[in-house]
Parts: sequence; C-alpha cells; structure tokens
Amino acid sequence: MSKIAISLTVNGTPTDLLAEPREQLADLLRGGLMLTGTHVGCEHGVCGACTVEIDGVPARSCITHAGSCDGAVIRTIEGFGDDAVMAALREAFACEHALQCGYCTPGMLVAARDIVLRLPEADETRVREEMAGNLCRCTGYRGIVRAVLRVLAARRQGFQD
Amino acid sequence: MTAGQAARAATLGVGASLRRKEDARFLHGLGRFVGDITRPGMLEVAFLRSPVAHARLHGVTKPTGAEKRVFTLADLGNVRTIRANSALPGFRVSEQPALAGGKLRHVGEAIAACVAGTRAEAEDLVAACGLDYETLPAVHDMLAAPLPTQPLIHDGWSMNAFLETRRDDDVGDLDAIAAAKVTRTLRTSRQCMAPIEGRGVLAEWDPRLEQMIVTTSTQMPHVTKSGLADCLGLDEGQVRIVSPDVGGGFGYKGILLPEEIVCASIARLLGRPVRWLEDRYEQLSAGANCREHHYVITAWADRAGKLLGMECEATVDAGAYSSYPFGACLEAAQVGSILPGPYILPLLRCHTISACTNKPPILPYRGVARTGVCYAMETTLDALARQLGISAEAIRLANLVPPDAMPYRNLVGKVFDSGDYPEALRRAVAAFDLDSIRARQAKGETVGFGLATFCEQGAHGTSVYHAWGIPFVPGFEQAHVRLSPDGVLEVRVGVHSHGQGMETTLAQVAHEILGVHPDKVRVVHGDTALTPYSTGTWGSRAMVMAGGAVAEACRQLGERIAAIGAALLQVQASDVEVADGKVRRKDTGGSVSIADVAHTWYRAPQNLPPGVDKGGLEITAGYRPDPDTGTHSYACHACVVRVDVETGAVVLEDYLVVEDGGRLVNPMIVDGQVLGGLAQGIGTALYEEMPFDEAGQPLAATLADYLLPGTTEVPDVRLDHMETPSPWTTFGQKGIGESGAIGPPAAIVNAINDALASLGAEVFDLPASPPRVLAAIAAARAARQ
Repeated sequence: MSKIAISLTVNGTPTDLLAEPREQLADLLRGGLMLTGTHVGCEHGVCGACTVEIDGVPARSCITHAGSCDGAVIRTIEGFGDDAVMAALREAFACEHALQCGYCTPGMLVAARDIVLRLPEADETRVREEMAGNLCRCTGYRGIVRAVLRVLAARRQGFQD
Repeated sequence: MTAGQAARAATLGVGASLRRKEDARFLHGLGRFVGDITRPGMLEVAFLRSPVAHARLHGVTKPTGAEKRVFTLADLGNVRTIRANSALPGFRVSEQPALAGGKLRHVGEAIAACVAGTRAEAEDLVAACGLDYETLPAVHDMLAAPLPTQPLIHDGWSMNAFLETRRDDDVGDLDAIAAAKVTRTLRTSRQCMAPIEGRGVLAEWDPRLEQMIVTTSTQMPHVTKSGLADCLGLDEGQVRIVSPDVGGGFGYKGILLPEEIVCASIARLLGRPVRWLEDRYEQLSAGANCREHHYVITAWADRAGKLLGMECEATVDAGAYSSYPFGACLEAAQVGSILPGPYILPLLRCHTISACTNKPPILPYRGVARTGVCYAMETTLDALARQLGISAEAIRLANLVPPDAMPYRNLVGKVFDSGDYPEALRRAVAAFDLDSIRARQAKGETVGFGLATFCEQGAHGTSVYHAWGIPFVPGFEQAHVRLSPDGVLEVRVGVHSHGQGMETTLAQVAHEILGVHPDKVRVVHGDTALTPYSTGTWGSRAMVMAGGAVAEACRQLGERIAAIGAALLQVQASDVEVADGKVRRKDTGGSVSIADVAHTWYRAPQNLPPGVDKGGLEITAGYRPDPDTGTHSYACHACVVRVDVETGAVVLEDYLVVEDGGRLVNPMIVDGQVLGGLAQGIGTALYEEMPFDEAGQPLAATLADYLLPGTTEVPDVRLDHMETPSPWTTFGQKGIGESGAIGPPAAIVNAINDALASLGAEVFDLPASPPRVLAAIAAARAARQ
C-alpha cells in the first residue's frame, strides 16, 4: 500500500514520517514513535482514552487520520514534562485518587488540562459536562472531578494573591 | 506498640489513606499494558469470527497465497478443548474449542486466526477468507432455551441447560398464615463489563527454556497458567504467564481465553512472537457475557413485615459454553444461597436453571450473582411493604440479622462474621430529609426515595469452593517476602493488582508488621515466574487473603531479622523488638537497622550468630482465615430520584452509601472501590444493555449504543463508613471490592417505584431506561382504565 509522507512536530520534535492512508494518528504515535502513553480504548471516538493535543486542541487520535495531520503540532501525555498545569493536575489526581487502573488517565489529563486553561471559572456542573467525553470504568469519576476542581480553585486563588 | 509506632502506623500502615505508589507511572503515561509491549519479529493476529449465532461450520476458504498465514483448528495441532466442569450433580459438560470446529455457537466465536505484520493487514486477510456454514435456528431466549422445542446447542445433551438446582422447603402453609404475599417477575439485562482496556495476548516461545511465555491481560495469572498448560499439553513449568498493567478487570479478565491458546499455538508453530489485541467491536459483539437473570419470586410476610418464606424460580442466561475456571453455573447455582441476603429468612423454596443459549459464555461480573439477587430481593421487599402499608425502612428492620446474633448462620448455612446491619440502615435513612421528599410527592412531583440493604461474602475459601468442583479451589494464599542486601523489602504475591492499589496497600501491611517505610517495599505481582501460586484477584479476596499472607510472611521474617539483629546488639533475641525498620533493644533502646541486618546476612556473614536460621532473609508463608467461610461486608444504599413522566428519564438527585468493610487498610482506596463499583451499578440500573435479536445478533456494537455512565450520569455520592472488624482476619479487614456494584439497581428502582407509586406504576426490568419507565407508566394507566 502506498504511503503518505507527513511532517509532524511531536512533543516538540519535528519528525518526518510515512503513514498508510488508512492509518490513524493513535496507531502512528503508539507504533512508529513508541509513544504508548496514548491509549486506544474504543477506536470509534467515544471513550476519550486516546485524547492528545493537536495544534493545542484536544482531539481523538483514534479517529484522526495521520495523513490529515501533515504540519500539525502534536502533544501527547509524554510531552507535558515542563507544563505547570499538567504538574498540578498530576498532583491533584494522585491526591484525589482519580485513577485506579490508569488506562484512561492520559486521556483524562489532556482533557482536564484543556478545561483548566479554557474555563478558569468552571464549577462542578461545568467540569462534569466538559469531562463527559472521557470514560472511566474504575473510579466513578468523583476523584477526577474533584482533582480538576482542585486545580481550578488553586489557580483562581493564585491569581487573586 | 509504642506511641511513636502507633503514630507512624496511622500515617503509613494499616488504616492510612496513603497515596498510591503506582500512580506516578500512570500519570506520566508510563504504564505498560499488553498493547504497549512489542517484540522483534512480532506478528499481529486478527480473528475471523462467527457472523451468526448458531450454524454448522462446513469450512474456511483461505485466501490464495496466504494459506500459511491463516490458522484454523486443524492447523493448531493437538490442543485440548476448554472444559470447566462442576462437581454439582447433573452438570452438563461443554467442550469449548480454541477455534470453532464443527459448530458455531455464538456471534463472535473465533473460527480462524490470521497473522500479518500489522493488525490492519491481518484484518485484510480476515476479510479475504471465505466461510461456508449452514445456519441453524438460534437459541436466544433463556426461558425457552431448556424447552424440548428448541434446537440443541451441544449435540448429545438432553436439554439446553448446564445445571438445575433445587431447594425444597415446604412453603405450602404460608398462604394461610401470611398477612401479605407478593409475586414479582423481574429481569436484568445482559451486559458487557467493558473495561476501558480490552483483552490482549502476546505469546512467544523461548526455545532455550522450552517455555511458552504469554503476556496477557489477566486477573489470575497462575490459574491461566494451569489451564493453558493443560490445553497445550505442556508441563506447567513450560508456561509462564506475565500479566503486566491491566486496564480494568471486573471479572472480564478472570478467564482462560481461547485466544490465549491460539496465540500460544501459533507462536510455537511459527517460532515468532504473535500478539492479539481485542478491539471494542470484538468486545461488545463477542464479550457481552454477564448479568442476564430472570426471576419469578414470591414472598410471604406477617403483619409486622417479618418474612415467613420465599419461593424463587431463577433463570440465568449462561451462554454457549462453560468458561474456565468459574464455569457456567456460578451465578444461577448461587441464587439460592445468596437470596436470603442480610435477612432472617425461615423458609426458602428455590429452583434455578443455568440456561445454555447461543450467546457469549457467562463470566462473573463484579458482584457476581448478588447484583441480580439483591435487585430481586429488595424490590420484592418494597412491594411487600407497600402491600402492608409499612415503610421500606420498617420492613427491613423487621428482618435484618441483629448485631447480637453475630456470628450468625442463616438457613442456607452462610455464616455472617460481624456487623450491625440495622445500624447501617438507620444511619442511611437518618441522612435524608424524608419529610421534604414526601412533601414534594404530595405536591405532585414524581420524586422517590429508595433503599437497598445487602451483605457481600468475600474471600471465601476452601470450605466453600471445594463443593463446587470447578477447576480450582482456593487454599492457603501465599506471599513471599525477602530482604534485599540494601534493606529494601520485596513482597511477591500471586494475586494481581489492576486498579485496586495493592502495590500500596500490601506495602502498608508490610510496614505495619516490620516498620519498613512503604517507599522501601517493592510489591511484585503479575508474573508466574516471580510469584507464589495464587488463584488470583476475584471474589473480593485479595486484601483479606494476600494481606493476611503478607502479614504472616513479614511476621516470620521479623523473627529471623530479630535473631540476627539481637546478635549484632549482643543480646538475646527475646530482648529485642522489630519496629520502625529497626531491631531495637527493649531495655536501652539501642538499635540496628533492618538494612544493617540485611547487609550482615548477604555481605558480612562473618558476623552472623551461630545457629542462625539458614533460610536467610526470605520466606514464603501461607495464610487462610479460620473459619474460611468468608468475610461479610455489608451496606445500605439510599437514594432520591426524580422521574420525568414525559420522557421517562431518571435523575439521581442524591445517593448515599453506608458501608462496613471491617477495618479499612487504606480508606481512600476503599472509597475508590465503592465509588467505582457504584458507577457500574448505576450503569446496570439505568443504562447498560446488550439486546440480542431473535437470530442471536448483539445489537449494541459500539459505545454509542452500549451506554457506559460518564461524569454527567454518576452523581457526587455521599459515603459513610462503619468499621466493625471481622473476628477472623489478620487486621479485621473484610472483602469489599464488589460491594458498590451490588446495591444500585435495587436502590434506584425502589426509588423510581416510590416516585411512581401515586401513578400505580412499577418498573420490573433492568435497566430502568426511559422506554421501560414510560412503558410502566402506560401499563399502569391502561390498568386503571
């Protein structure tokens, strides 16, 4: 099968790749690039486990053709090492017991970080609405919602100080 | 224990809400699941699966030129069928082939395995295969399945049922003496457990060790090893199971998979590693395998609501095969023993059938039969209460086993270890403003209050399971502990942690006994080559069984540490104690660290005392509670719902759980278990349903059709703990991993029925989805007219 040449910036590193026309971004990231922190849960865009950042916006990498991403800037869970919001979320997730098996966690974190930055005034109802696209089968969500609210509250407190 | 020890244990040991050691890797995307692991030269497998529920299979046509990359049963060589028999009298044995042979028995049954460099190419091969079969009528209705009119699924059987059980107490006199009698026909839907990570298998043959190494997403690596060795005709030493990070189990991964046998066979035939990863379509179409129950249940009570007796006809859809190891009868055959629940029940007449149908083979899902049985019992109790004109609280208080009766042996021989069941109910009811709910009802609002009380037997062992005669009987749980030369304590266990946080809680147990900081305790699990045999993680058993085994192993290791430490301190062993990671003189408080003791054993043996235990600083110890009939955690679930009578939608306004898991090793983690189970129970109650049509086709093959609860469906639940220690376990801990998933359908439907009581409507079937709620309202309206 012929392949498509694409250029991506993945976690800050420019990369030239060949992708099959039918290849999804999640498979490209997990396969050739060995970025296995992005998990595949449903392969039809419902569960959110595969959520990554494409050009700064959370997206489902399981239903995004790699070939359509030429020129895109991709960030996966492995690419937030120096990000203060992600660090705060990680701390809050551990503190609030927001993960059990850990499989949905990378997608949850990418989605949560977007909420924290985009909706600084979000309350619990809004956070629940915004996180509704990420499924977790272990936690019952309370810890996840509380972790996001904790980071939001801390940031609001920080802005006031 | 000194004050310092007590303070430290409170922050790090048993009872501490210690943050999880395992979190860091998951938060950074560094968990290692089967799908994250590759091997040089690895090939991917895709399965050709049955498109029909019931057929005679005439053959598979392999794509021209790719014949050697397509494997049918005949190509696998000499592999045995999967047999999970039961010793219960009358059990009919099913033989499940690794790949379908002469017959297809459910949609999604694997027929052939296609192998290629990528999964996509393997799926191309699947699409290019031809399939020749003759469709047979499908057995899709479990109630009809055992009838003589139905085609037989297994040739040679006399009826489509794995097993029938009976208990025949005489309830014939109850009509004459009872003040109330109700009969209900109830149904729960077939579900898919749907862990977010599917199953996955990576098999490789090591010619040097002559060993099949299978990395697989399983809850029970050692049981899988035994079953796989048997099916492959290998010695058990020739099979090593590695269960890495596992993305949720819930019972879905408590099974020997046909896919494991197939992948292992192909890996050996080809001399290359092969991997299969279940996709969501495979999971939903071939893995909807739990919870489908049907009850016709009658209960009699006196004027005060005291139960006089019950009669129950229960049918469970067990699917097409008896899965290894739990078998096809675990749910139905337990109905009779679970039905009394936490209540004093004088008489029970019960007939159960494990029906065989053309659906995926049943697996025990979190709560196992309890979720359905609790639903049947608790909704029936509410119906009795309505007939008697007493409250839901009153009828339960009239029947709950009181605390002064503990330990209590009920009519079917279950022994409740400890607890105050009525107090859990009272605390739950007290947490709600019932007057305001009644006032809203009086104003015409369709809101309702619902209760469910139940107990959960967990960690039951040999004395319970040997009678089942299934392929394994849990015995003494073992743990291996060893001190490394640097003083780090390794704890090796055969159970598997896949969300339960055992890398943390078992470290807390070790800390409790030896005082080694949990950061210096490495819990090793998930590899049969590294851990002692265990039947694995299921049945809410791990914290009781492995926790007890780790404690016992640490205690014995502590004696050896004390002996060496005492010699270094130049006193008798009886003059020292092991605490805070040190061996300390009781008189002066002078001490040496456990790390010093380890250094002495491994690197300075010239300083060892004469007569030192030659076993050194590693020990395998076994543990089993006595009696081993199981712990009984218990809970009261209470909730308020609002029902929209126009749309049938149900909103959970408030949900409270009062639960007692005995002494909590890590309260944060216990809360997580209860809340996670609860979300699954809410799914059972309101959303999750895998319908099958008359041809046996599953009708919800995506997560847009099969609805898992999300953040907007699961409310911010209130939790209240009681802590009554079990008198039979090491720390008083009880199994509580399944509890959250048991109560919600009963509590929620009772609340719905309370909300609809003014309309005379009642919901009988799960999930209480909008169409079912509207149908209940319409039926009540029709009955009135």
